[in-house]
Amino acid sequence: MRRLGTAVILRSALTTFALGLAGVLYGFPLYWLFVTSLKSKGELFASTVHLIPHNPTFAAYSSVLIDRGFWVLLKNSVVVCVSTVLVTLVVGLVITYPLTRLPVPARLRVGVLNWALSLRFLPPIAVVIPYFAIVRTVQIYDQPIALIGIYSLFNLPFAIWMLKGFLTEIPLELEDAARVDGATRWIAFWRVLLPLAAPGVMAAAIIIFTFAWSEFLFALILTATPNAQTFPVGVQGLVTQFEIIWNDMAAAGVIAMALPLVLMVIGRRYIVAGLTFGVIREK
Amino acid sequence: MQAVRAGWRRLSRDERLAYLILLPALSAVFVIVTIPFVLVIIQSLSTEDGTFVGPLNYSRALANPLLYEAIRATGVYALIVLPIEILLGLSFALLVHRTVRRPGLRAAIYVLAILPLVVPPVAIGVVARLIYAPGYGVLNVLLERYVGVHQEINWLGDPTLAMLAVASVDIWQWTPFVYLVLFSGLQTVPRESVEAAQIDGANWWAQFRYIDLHYLRPLFILILFFRLADVLRVFDHVFILTGGGPGTSTQLLSLYMYRVEFKFFDTGQAAALAVVVLVSFSLLYTLIARVLPLERA
Repeated sequence: MRRLGTAVILRSALTTFALGLAGVLYGFPLYWLFVTSLKSKGELFASTVHLIPHNPTFAAYSSVLIDRGFWVLLKNSVVVCVSTVLVTLVVGLVITYPLTRLPVPARLRVGVLNWALSLRFLPPIAVVIPYFAIVRTVQIYDQPIALIGIYSLFNLPFAIWMLKGFLTEIPLELEDAARVDGATRWIAFWRVLLPLAAPGVMAAAIIIFTFAWSEFLFALILTATPNAQTFPVGVQGLVTQFEIIWNDMAAAGVIAMALPLVLMVIGRRYIVAGLTFGVIREK
Repeated sequence: MQAVRAGWRRLSRDERLAYLILLPALSAVFVIVTIPFVLVIIQSLSTEDGTFVGPLNYSRALANPLLYEAIRATGVYALIVLPIEILLGLSFALLVHRTVRRPGLRAAIYVLAILPLVVPPVAIGVVARLIYAPGYGVLNVLLERYVGVHQEINWLGDPTLAMLAVASVDIWQWTPFVYLVLFSGLQTVPRESVEAAQIDGANWWAQFRYIDLHYLRPLFILILFFRLADVLRVFDHVFILTGGGPGTSTQLLSLYMYRVEFKFFDTGQAAALAVVVLVSFSLLYTLIARVLPLERA
């Protein structure tokens, strides 16, 4: 009996230690980012590094957003991400509606899903080389539309798999009932199916938005000026310049993280489902 | 034409509607996806001004020693990152599954584990800079203050340390993903079989080896698929943290291809590399996709 007691104590000690260690390893870097963003220029070059800020200030934030004009990049990011979400969801629904609601051969359905899955393995750098040539030829280089196009394409596999999962869960009978009452197929889709699928569609929207928000490689290559540059490109500019202004860089990092973290709180139940194409479902 | 029309008429109204919606949408997406593939093959067979040169770009791409350094770096990166993420994620999932019973604490761990997954890699690169950068990095400060290491370590200046630093960022961001997938897998293990095993006197290792592992096996393949897809395309945080350096020690495949195209402006060679990468990734994909536990119905 005493043996069991020590085992239990040992176990809970181990758990506490592991959780505490993970807490420090995840908490400290984010804390340090935030603290650095609150430092004044003077404190940056102080000879001793303070782990707790002495005179916290939001100067770095206004420096990044206003003096450097990054609010324009933030605006570009929002425009690109919202458009990407809309395009991806519409195309995703157009493809998944017939697959889940109408009689199509199983081979076609499996084929489409497999094809979407294979796009997940596609390395962006290999695609961006021809895409760059296309974008220059049709003269959309440094325009948001070039990003919206490629982001929609790369997010379509997620959209198809997630929407397929959500739509199959809604019983066909509900729409059938509406149509027996005289509703057209379109009305049944718009008034019955879509409201029922709304939580799933919202979840897909949040995930696609977050992915598009994080995207960096395409934005780096396909944009050149604040006309279309997204926020991550601006952050990169602060990092690779000759002399790094640490507090500005940290403030930009905090701003880049803020929106995804807020969205995550809303869509937290669906993030893992999205990342695993619907295999892992949280209750 | 006659036969097609007859076949079309034989379909029910719903079937016809399905094809009316699907065919335009799928063919549009298919064309948009295919154009870059066709173009990259043309690019790989010609010079910048469009003259056909045959396989010249391929022989130049494959003869370049930097390619093999990039492949080696990507391999080393994957071999550091994947086993550590899977082992850590698995241990943590088992630990929380077996010892944490309070639903509130479990929910809190869930939210914290989601957090790194949604943070933009560029922002994580910034965090990593603040930690490892020479002169300003806080890691050296902490080491000096609490461990007593007085010599400044140049984390990003030494090839081995730089690779470890870059890998640590990946491990930081993606171990929680492995944890979340495996933890939710452990929830599907039927309680009766665990209880039966405990009555039979199975210790925790036997429980894991003969019961849990059985339920987790398909998830390992899933994790491998998604992590491999991401590891092979890693670009953002490495670009921010080391830019591929020092030298070419952290120049992973994506960074190398970026450099060939956008720093050396050698489109022919970059396109040839892209084709080689696309072909080899497709082969890799067909190998893994076959055994993926996804509901395709």
